[in-house]
Amino acid sequence: MNEESILLFIKIVAAVLVIYWVSIAVSLIYRKIRRARLNKIEIAFADIVSRYLYNDPKDPLSLDEIKRRLVKVGIRSRNRNNIQFLIRLMIRTQRTILGRNFSKLQKLYTEIPPYGVSVKKISSWSWYKKARGIREIYEMNQSQYSDEIFKYRDDKNIYVRREAQIALVVFLGWGSLRFLPYLQRNLTLWQQIKIVEKLYDLYPKPELRWLHRAYETEKLFGKKLLMRIIRKYELHDEIGYIIDNLNHEDYEVRETAIYCLKTFAVSSSTMEYIKELYNDIPDATQQGQLLNYIYENSDIDLDFYLKQLYSENEELKLSIAEILWNNGYKEKVQEFYYQQYPKATLNVG
Amino acid sequence: MKKVLVIQEDIIILKILERLVSLNNFECKAIRSLDELSIEDQQTNFDFIITDILFEGIAPLEFVAQVQEVLLHKNLLIVTNMGQDKIKQEIFALRGITGFYAVPIDLDEIEAIIQAY
Repeated sequence: MNEESILLFIKIVAAVLVIYWVSIAVSLIYRKIRRARLNKIEIAFADIVSRYLYNDPKDPLSLDEIKRRLVKVGIRSRNRNNIQFLIRLMIRTQRTILGRNFSKLQKLYTEIPPYGVSVKKISSWSWYKKARGIREIYEMNQSQYSDEIFKYRDDKNIYVRREAQIALVVFLGWGSLRFLPYLQRNLTLWQQIKIVEKLYDLYPKPELRWLHRAYETEKLFGKKLLMRIIRKYELHDEIGYIIDNLNHEDYEVRETAIYCLKTFAVSSSTMEYIKELYNDIPDATQQGQLLNYIYENSDIDLDFYLKQLYSENEELKLSIAEILWNNGYKEKVQEFYYQQYPKATLNVG
Repeated sequence: MKKVLVIQEDIIILKILERLVSLNNFECKAIRSLDELSIEDQQTNFDFIITDILFEGIAPLEFVAQVQEVLLHKNLLIVTNMGQDKIKQEIFALRGITGFYAVPIDLDEIEAIIQAY
């Protein structure tokens, strides 16, 4: 390598380094300016909200003043990032307040820009924007757009339909269950939990007529969702729906039924019915789970346990023997043990 | 004039509480962290301190203990995002806490306490 090529190499490296440093400097300056701008928007919004909620009659805050102030800090239709930041602030604020001020805040949001930004996102081709638009609408409780959202409840994109289904729950509450039989695509476990939690947070008083109508659903995810709702609301009178699904042919439906049943204590007659269903469960692990429930929630039923002990289900015999052994029926377990070897002789002494 | 100190890192809650307090004829000092306190503030006996408990670099209980130790006050109200039952129990176990409000809050409740004072 001669001197010229080394010099050229050094120049190239130096140029790359300079470009690198300049880009870092530009990025730092941009971030500083951006942070200052966002700070300004946040302070202005905080001031507007506080003055709107607690309006001083001596120095009243008018809508024109609010709009002027927002424009002044950069809330214009061409500054999409600023608008998005403002929407985030609006949602954050709404989440922190309850009662009379919550309603006032909702009224304010309908009167100030950005107008219809979220609803415009719904017609975007991007699933991400669409889902975000739906989320913003239900977070800000803009129920006037509910019809626009509801048609996405069974969208092919999982994120879009998830947000649309949550929006249904937010706007319609228990009434949203009427759409359950018509959903074609699966509701994941995560989504079921989200729906149940949202419903419970916003509509803590159960409306059983919607629940009863939804019982007609044949969809497996629908059955699982309904059982989770019954569990969350501790609807003792609806426990029959869970019990009826204990011997369902689908593994996951049975799993959910057993899981939800564990929340409840049942009457002795219902427990007898559960014992009858016990034999219909085709999976030994699930039978074991139900056996634990029966053992923990009812008195020892010798006939039931002996029947299981002498049945052909080898996998659970040890658990049943343990229950009997620990509850004063050692001789029954010994009897069962010895009857397995009727021709054996004891070699003692 | 009765004095209130509001300490909230969230500027929106801070401004709302400041406004609420001021409109109820209290003199209000609103700050985002304890660093903003002046020497005069530390000598003032506040009628109310309304504070969050979640601040950078200090544990919630430690923060409350520090406020109780450093600042003179008659009533201490906690307004925070950390509304878990366990936190609430631990805060009340410290004693000297007038009220605990977890977000989302109904500001009317805080206003009622201030007006009743």
